[in-house]
Amino acid sequence: MRATTADREQSATYTYLICALAWAIPGAGHLLLGRRQKGLTFLIALTLMFAFGLWLEGRLFPIESTEPLVVLAALADVGIGLSFFIARATGAGAGHVVALTYEYGNAFLIVAGLMNMLAVLDVFDIAQGRK
Amino acid sequence: MTSHLVLMVVFALFVSVVFGTLMRDEPAEQLRFGARLFAAFVLGGIALGWLLYPLPL
Repeated sequence: MRATTADREQSATYTYLICALAWAIPGAGHLLLGRRQKGLTFLIALTLMFAFGLWLEGRLFPIESTEPLVVLAALADVGIGLSFFIARATGAGAGHVVALTYEYGNAFLIVAGLMNMLAVLDVFDIAQGRK
Repeated sequence: MTSHLVLMVVFALFVSVVFGTLMRDEPAEQLRFGARLFAAFVLGGIALGWLLYPLPL
């Protein structure tokens, strides 16, 4: 009985670790779970989409509690994982609000983050044996 | 790149690729679903654009 509980705890820890990795690097979770084609597709498509958003002068929103809508956009941006923090650290994603492509850039950045969150949920399902 | 149409098509392409991969397991099915989604996004966007055209926005 004790061994079963320990196994279950170990399995849950493994699942959450995989999910954390899938969040940090798009596609990494699928690659680790042997879904090579899906993992590579997510890695390329989501990273490119995020880079495209930065190139279009979109903004990586800060988490400011005074503006609820900005917080939501920031949470969506963070969904892309490590790329968000690397971009912030290098000064990318400052956002050029008068640029013609500013809103498009925001849409690309936000949707890339949200889709990576969906990919993480897919990884969770696969790790749980549901898919 | 400032063409609204091109940006919309690129956006639709990325979303279709990710959703096609996410929602289907077999590569052939992913391609079919992604292509249908892409066509729906682009044609829907153009149709919506024409519908909004007469409105004084």
